[in-house]
Amino acid sequence: MKLYTAKSENVSGKPVVLDDTILTKDMPTAAGSKMLDGYMSLFDAEIISKLKDAGFGICGKANVGEMAIDLLGETSYYGECTDESGKLVGASAEIVKNGEAVAAISMDVCGSSARAAAMSGLVYIKPTYGTVSRFGTIPAACSGECVAVSAKTASECREVLSAIAGHDDKDGTSLPEDKCALLKADAPRSEIKKIAIAKALVDSASDEVKALIESFKANADGVEFAPIDANELTYAQAAWNILMSAEVCNNVSKYDGVKYGYRAAEFSNIDELYTNSRTEAFGYLLKSTILFGSETLSEDNYMKVYDKALRVRRVIVEYFDKLFADFDAVLMPVSSKTAYTKADTDANTYIAYDESIYTAPASITGLPRAVVGGVQLVGKAFSENSLLDLATKVRKEGK
Amino acid sequence: MDREILRRLESLNQLRLTEEEKEKVLSFFEMQDKEITRLGDIDTEKVERMVHVMPMNNVIREDVVNKVFTRDELQAAAPEAYDGYWQVPRLVE
Amino acid sequence: MKYETVIGLEVHVEMATESKIFCSCSAKFGGEQNDHVCPACCGMPGMLPIVNKHVVDLGMTAGMMLNCDINRTTTFDKKSYYYPDLPNAYQTTQWFAPVCVNGTVDIKTSKGEKKVRIKQIHMEEDAGKLVHDDWTDSTLVDFNRTSVPLIEIVSQPDLSSAEEVIAYLERLRSLLRFAKVSDCRWEQGSMRCDVNLSVRPEGSDVLGVRTEMKNMNSLSAIERAIEYETARHIDAIENGTEVLVQETRRWDDIKGKSYAMRTKETAGDYRYFPDPNVMPVVIDDEWYNRIKETLPDLPEVKAQKFIELGLTEYDADQLIQSRALCDVFEAAYKTSGLAKESANWIITDCMTILNKKQMTADMLSISGKALGELIKLVAEEKVNRGNAKRILAVMFDEDINPQEYAEKNGLIVSNDTGKLEEVVKAVCAADPKSVEDYKNGKEKVFMALFGQCMKQLQGNCNPQALKEALLKELQ
Repeated sequence: MKLYTAKSENVSGKPVVLDDTILTKDMPTAAGSKMLDGYMSLFDAEIISKLKDAGFGICGKANVGEMAIDLLGETSYYGECTDESGKLVGASAEIVKNGEAVAAISMDVCGSSARAAAMSGLVYIKPTYGTVSRFGTIPAACSGECVAVSAKTASECREVLSAIAGHDDKDGTSLPEDKCALLKADAPRSEIKKIAIAKALVDSASDEVKALIESFKANADGVEFAPIDANELTYAQAAWNILMSAEVCNNVSKYDGVKYGYRAAEFSNIDELYTNSRTEAFGYLLKSTILFGSETLSEDNYMKVYDKALRVRRVIVEYFDKLFADFDAVLMPVSSKTAYTKADTDANTYIAYDESIYTAPASITGLPRAVVGGVQLVGKAFSENSLLDLATKVRKEGK
Repeated sequence: MDREILRRLESLNQLRLTEEEKEKVLSFFEMQDKEITRLGDIDTEKVERMVHVMPMNNVIREDVVNKVFTRDELQAAAPEAYDGYWQVPRLVE
Repeated sequence: MKYETVIGLEVHVEMATESKIFCSCSAKFGGEQNDHVCPACCGMPGMLPIVNKHVVDLGMTAGMMLNCDINRTTTFDKKSYYYPDLPNAYQTTQWFAPVCVNGTVDIKTSKGEKKVRIKQIHMEEDAGKLVHDDWTDSTLVDFNRTSVPLIEIVSQPDLSSAEEVIAYLERLRSLLRFAKVSDCRWEQGSMRCDVNLSVRPEGSDVLGVRTEMKNMNSLSAIERAIEYETARHIDAIENGTEVLVQETRRWDDIKGKSYAMRTKETAGDYRYFPDPNVMPVVIDDEWYNRIKETLPDLPEVKAQKFIELGLTEYDADQLIQSRALCDVFEAAYKTSGLAKESANWIITDCMTILNKKQMTADMLSISGKALGELIKLVAEEKVNRGNAKRILAVMFDEDINPQEYAEKNGLIVSNDTGKLEEVVKAVCAADPKSVEDYKNGKEKVFMALFGQCMKQLQGNCNPQALKEALLKELQ
């Protein structure tokens, strides 16, 4: 089992571990793919200088699933990670849980790292889209993926998020500084008082997950909870699966064995070079994603599939807007179960596509999600501090 | 979704699946197809598509040249390079 | 039966920007292989595209020159295919909302005037260059041109002959060069053309089978290719020599034939979708008007204005061959008030220097104001023509003030008659034999003495005054 794909010798500052989807120039970055095994980036991700400026040091790179689109790292070229009981865990989350790093930084494409935080009992925050620069991250599904943070406590999460949030001219989707500043630890925020519980999503989850929801409610003193039907949110799954797959298909097409990365040993022409390299270097889930994503963009399907998903995205965004007129956040599971094993992912290669029913709503809308106590809260845009305040309260931190 | 479409998709995406993988991917497509059909429940005719979740306009830069990396640095990881070029099998011309 | 040819063109023009469309690499032509390259334009992960504002300026300019409607909200999309010259395996282009739509270009041919409709103009990135190398028996890839900004100008199928196509392309080239959108150099690939052609019986409103010839890069090749393809299509229709199929063909200009290109079954399956990393470009009135105000007159309008200033039609026509010549002329005229002289200095003297330097008219970058000042100095007989030419040559290399330069280097015509007489006396004293010969009726020697005086004066005198002084001395 490989938790680290690279480790720093001398760490100055509070140690932070990066998922192997974040580019570093002094350590290789492979995004869990044989295609990029040993790939050395010429430049660091934007967040790295921000972390260093805030007194953090990078202690290493953590194993991730290929392009971070799987359930819990099970598709990594370097193998999956499990705990003593055989339960699948996210490598960076486990490194934090072991106390080797104060926080883990990941790419949240469709919630893989959010699930990992839940499995390892961490607090997790995926901020509002555009508040943390994606410059220097391995692109998978650019329209929704975000740099996310997990830590043992809400206050550590906040400290790291506060350090990395900020406008970046090198990222064309980076929001203006005044918006990014809302994520700073000392920014004004309102208190979360009223939370909607997304029934349609809770109902489909296991009893253990339902118990986590109840436990969350019990610990959220003074917060009013109200169940809502939330059937609309279930459509986010198909829509995000479409958008994500198409974007992944497009983003990994640059890995073709020509410029860098894996090149097959045998080929007799350019098409064989491409096909053999990609066939040998990509894992099965990624291949399926590429093929599905490609098909959603075909001339025949574009309007009825891809374009439809773009419109459904707006429907979901507007649905949240309506909810947020009455509620401060929406509570939902982050996964259907509280533990998965290799047997689960072997039995269903596409389990991540099924589990995205819980994670797609925040991914497709770019809204912030927090994971605390193994459940997920989706908040208004820029409500990260409010979500983390609530996490502090629920976890009885500092008491 | 049939094997013919799948064969075309493999070619289009420079991938080659084994027979076993093809079976699996066909069932995956079938599953996704059901989900896609379900999206039909939502009337989106009057809904505008949403590409960017945090919409902004005119994220543009001035026309200024800035060179950061040398050719040698860029080609350091090239599987094959010759005389400052990336190199591939000869294309039929 | 009589046939008509139906032709539509897709013209690619590389824009005259300093940097590339989505990254800050140099967009200059040339350079060593892979020298104008960064992680973004060689397909490495982690860099994000940021649109070059000047590209949008030039895209709008092109559209305005071609009477297009400007899409006030214009967006970028990704087009996917695998080829070694495309490092990301996608090209960022404009598929859903191109910057310009619905334009027209007026052309003149032997058959009269015609309006060619423009369907759209979109902005996109160029691909790299492939070198098929015999020595290594491989293909070598150069990404210097990758991501250089392009506009693609798509015409409606309104053209019906090689003559019309040439007229259209020449007109496009003139307009785009005039508006400084591009240098439009066929030989450097900054202007390229895809020709879509079909043939049908005259008067029919059903289009025939269409073939496409891609990446044509010279007018003469385009002309020959159109004639060949037209004949091939007619032959196929009339004599059944072959079955026409919709396909892409390669024109071999040496053999004078077109060949069907082997294409993959998936060719053309580009899977366009909106680029999530590039925000829409919204052109407000202020931006729109700013570009509108910088538009030059059309070349023929400019020529008419020049003629009204007193230039001949020929001179005006020479000047409008290049926007640079027009700009220098206008500034020189504004300073000197002398139209004819300004034109002559540009058409004759500047062009001679440019030719010597193996530069084109477009590369004329001297200050028109300085040229105007120089012309004034000559007109006021303060500097003679020969010295003025010398000063002009210096102006090509240095930013100088002609008057100051002339003063500093002793090139000002002297009006000092004392000095004149002094020199004449000295020359005559130094060459008593010539003086003697002149006095003996050998009038030819006058010019030799005159020349010696002129040389001593470094040409800085009024020739008439010198002549009079010398005659006086010789009497």
